[in-house]
Amino acid sequence: MKNIISGILITVLFASCEKVLDLKYKDNKSSIVIEGNITNEAGPYFVKITRSVKLKETGSYPTVDSAMVIINDDAGNIDTLAIMGNGLYQTKRITGVEGRSYTLTVQADNEVYIAKSTMPALVPFDSVKVETVKIVGDTEYNLIPVYTDPLVAGNKYRFILTVNDKIINQHFVQDDEVRNGVVNTTRLEVNDDDLELKKGDVISIEMQCVDTNVALYYKTLALIGDSGPGGGTTPNNPVNNISNGALGLFSAHTTEHKGVVIAL
Amino acid sequence: MHKRTVAISLLFLFSTTLLLAQSKFTVSGTVKQKSSGETLIGVNVVIAEKPSVGVTTNEYGFYSISLPKGHYTFRFSYVGYKQELVPVDLVADVKVNINMADESKLQEIVVKARKENDNLTSATMGTEVLNMKDAAKLPVVFGEKDLVKTIQLLPGVKSNGEGSNGFSVRGGATDQNLILLDEAPVYNASHLLGIFSTFNSDAIKDATIIKGNSPAQFGGRLSSVLDVKMKEGNNKEYHMSGGIGLISSRLTVEGPIQKDKSSFIISGRRTYADLFAKISPDFKDIQLYFYDLNAKANLAINDKNKLFFSGYFGKDVLGVSKTFGSKWGNSTGTLRWNSVLSGKLFSNTSFIYSNYDFNVSFKSDNSETNFNSHIRDLNLKQDFTLYASAKNTIRFGFNVIHHTITPTTAGGTNIIRTRRSQKGLENALYVGNAFKASESINVDYGLRFSFYNIRDGKTYANWEPRLSVNYRVSNTASIKMGYARNTQNLHLMSNSTGGSPTDQWIGNSDTIRPELADQVSLGFSKNLYNNAYELSTEVYYKTMQHQIDYKDGVDLNTVTNIESVLLFGKGRAYGVEVLLKKKKGLLTGWIGYTLSKTERKIQGINNNEWYNAKQDRTHDLSIVGIYTLSPRWTLSGAFIYTTGNAVTFPTGKYVLNNMVIYQYGSRNADRMPATHRLDLSLTYQKRNHSWSFGLYNVYGRKNPYSITFKENKNNPQQIDAVQTSLFQWIPSVTYNFNF
Repeated sequence: MKNIISGILITVLFASCEKVLDLKYKDNKSSIVIEGNITNEAGPYFVKITRSVKLKETGSYPTVDSAMVIINDDAGNIDTLAIMGNGLYQTKRITGVEGRSYTLTVQADNEVYIAKSTMPALVPFDSVKVETVKIVGDTEYNLIPVYTDPLVAGNKYRFILTVNDKIINQHFVQDDEVRNGVVNTTRLEVNDDDLELKKGDVISIEMQCVDTNVALYYKTLALIGDSGPGGGTTPNNPVNNISNGALGLFSAHTTEHKGVVIAL
Repeated sequence: MHKRTVAISLLFLFSTTLLLAQSKFTVSGTVKQKSSGETLIGVNVVIAEKPSVGVTTNEYGFYSISLPKGHYTFRFSYVGYKQELVPVDLVADVKVNINMADESKLQEIVVKARKENDNLTSATMGTEVLNMKDAAKLPVVFGEKDLVKTIQLLPGVKSNGEGSNGFSVRGGATDQNLILLDEAPVYNASHLLGIFSTFNSDAIKDATIIKGNSPAQFGGRLSSVLDVKMKEGNNKEYHMSGGIGLISSRLTVEGPIQKDKSSFIISGRRTYADLFAKISPDFKDIQLYFYDLNAKANLAINDKNKLFFSGYFGKDVLGVSKTFGSKWGNSTGTLRWNSVLSGKLFSNTSFIYSNYDFNVSFKSDNSETNFNSHIRDLNLKQDFTLYASAKNTIRFGFNVIHHTITPTTAGGTNIIRTRRSQKGLENALYVGNAFKASESINVDYGLRFSFYNIRDGKTYANWEPRLSVNYRVSNTASIKMGYARNTQNLHLMSNSTGGSPTDQWIGNSDTIRPELADQVSLGFSKNLYNNAYELSTEVYYKTMQHQIDYKDGVDLNTVTNIESVLLFGKGRAYGVEVLLKKKKGLLTGWIGYTLSKTERKIQGINNNEWYNAKQDRTHDLSIVGIYTLSPRWTLSGAFIYTTGNAVTFPTGKYVLNNMVIYQYGSRNADRMPATHRLDLSLTYQKRNHSWSFGLYNVYGRKNPYSITFKENKNNPQQIDAVQTSLFQWIPSVTYNFNF
């Protein structure tokens, strides 16, 4: 909301100008990064373990290849993941089931990291609706994921936007705090500084039903996203669901894809 | 128990007065400007035979002195006005009303003491008075003279940066400034996201900023009081004045209601960028403007009773076609009744209404969402000034404010949740005395007892002692020291790095306790070259308790329970302020410099370690000069340099699910690049009209507005820090007239 107000004002009133700065950055603590996903689709599922690097580095990210990775669920299943190399670990037998809680245990470099996530019930993703808005002579496109939020409160959704086969590095989270139990009409808050949608673009959206912690993680990132005095919260490493100070996220979620081509 | 103590102290004060009242006579009256009949505030009234005995006129131009029987010469002096000498044969209580003539040839400075060496004799600390007439000569963006912008050129007062709301005083937050317009609190003092203030300069008489050491009659905010007073209007003849600028126009009408007795003033202002924009079909759907309306009238019922009504109404409107609309604004109304109960006792009763609200709405094909919030006050203030003796001026009274606060509530299609409004009573009892202990020592001391009562809930009570002492070391130098405690019962919820009109106010609750600040300060003033130069420095140290911050990942406008996302902690701020003014000659102006630090320590942020508050800036320099080229031409310039705000830059990065995510270290450990800028203005003045030409940011410095981190388009492995700047070389032309 803040972003919209200042955004419009700046576009309309001022010719703002941009330049790239050469900033000095404080020392970075290289931390372990754990990425784990369990979905309602058939396995195998993967866990990836890497390390963070300094902001200015341009090489590849160091991987952690000799960790012991275990996933177990609240139905008594346990699975030790196979080491695939390049930081990747693969499940052998565990399955993703709605309503089940999963615990990820990673033992690496004499440290143990534990994460827990629960896969919510699937809320069907019906379609992607495109709305057009004319602002200052430009046509802008709003993307609205259409789904019917169930009456039970506390549902959280995460969306991943792909435009012309390119994943957009922006974070979209919706929930039922303001509206509950209705067909969604809220658009994805796309930051159009970096992404201008145009006629002919092929849009693909993945909808994930996620648990509260996963939603909070991405919501934190989304709010940092609006920078400058017009909006944006003070940046911070988002609170995640992994213990012992590891970065990253373990997410058990449902997944469904829908696409649309911008026609008008 | 508290109430009884206060009652007893009030009683005590009265009884001293009665004792002192014997065998003396009182001279009292009102001082006005000759040409317009506007009352003059802060006029120095001194007995020529006994220069150590004197008072200054109050906010309504009233003064009173009690003396033994005898013959005296009263000297009325005020910077910029011809001195008046009035002989008085004192055998009974007498009334002396004075009209002082404007000494227009005298070159004045913008930020001035009310008498030449006021800085040396007055006990008030951290206080500056701004005169609107003079502020007009300073360069400003878009040529719109603005007292809030001028105040930000003083040491200790920091702008939050181009394109953001508000200002910060001595390390405090934006919401810790009490902004009063004719006693009514103004909850959001900016238009167009801080580019303009809500104060239309044509309607303003003067403004005083008190940086934390306020007298006991003020309270309710931690950092400062900005006390803005509207003009009363000319009670001699009708006048119309106004201005036409590139972005806005102003029109003011003033005149007598009863000649020489009462008057009115109505002043309006509107921007018209949107009207021009509409010419272009591309901008047809954009709504973007603000307007202000100020009105004031006074009515003399009789010699001793006077009524004042003042009102303000302002609104910002910003919208895009039918999809997005927003509106926000303040309205205030003040009805005051001045009464001279006796030559020694002056009373003012005020009924005040104040409201701030915003409304933001989003519409799509088949759905609408809107967000609303407001804060509405009904306020009663009773203030007495008792001119007890030549040495003691006592002020006491009470204030009751009824707040109705509606935190941001969502509405529209299918909205399920609303928030209930809160109600609270903010009360205060106060007493203070300006005491002339000796020829060289002045002491202002007072006590404020504030208590906030949440309707159907808790009551929070606080004692707020205030003290300032001035010791005159020599004819040209003085030392000051002060201590003050302030409390704050209303809190502005804002977790963005800058302010926004959609920030909501909330009151104390079971979990939100009153914010508290204790400030000690020490000052030294020295006048040089026969008062042509004035040097003042102050050091301060301030601690703050019950400061508020927010958990991560929270949208304050939609979160169900706002109290569940708050974090609490403390703050500290300290610094040195230096102000050197040149007050006489063809070139006048000042150099202000602040070296300061402000930090917070909040449970749950930055591993519970101290970190820089976002408004922390090490250096702040402003140089302001006004040069009279000829009686008609004036050239002025302002240069500012400030360290960048404290911000948090990423230190590292990692990849999660095919997206690059930044890693952060300590909070606010980084700095925006420094901001510096030179603005110039040239004014041509001819009897009743003037032209002013301005250039903002003369050398086109690209000052930082925001910095965003992005993957480089050609090489996504590389992260670029991209700075956005707003204003480079903004020219302006304004035509002002006065008939």
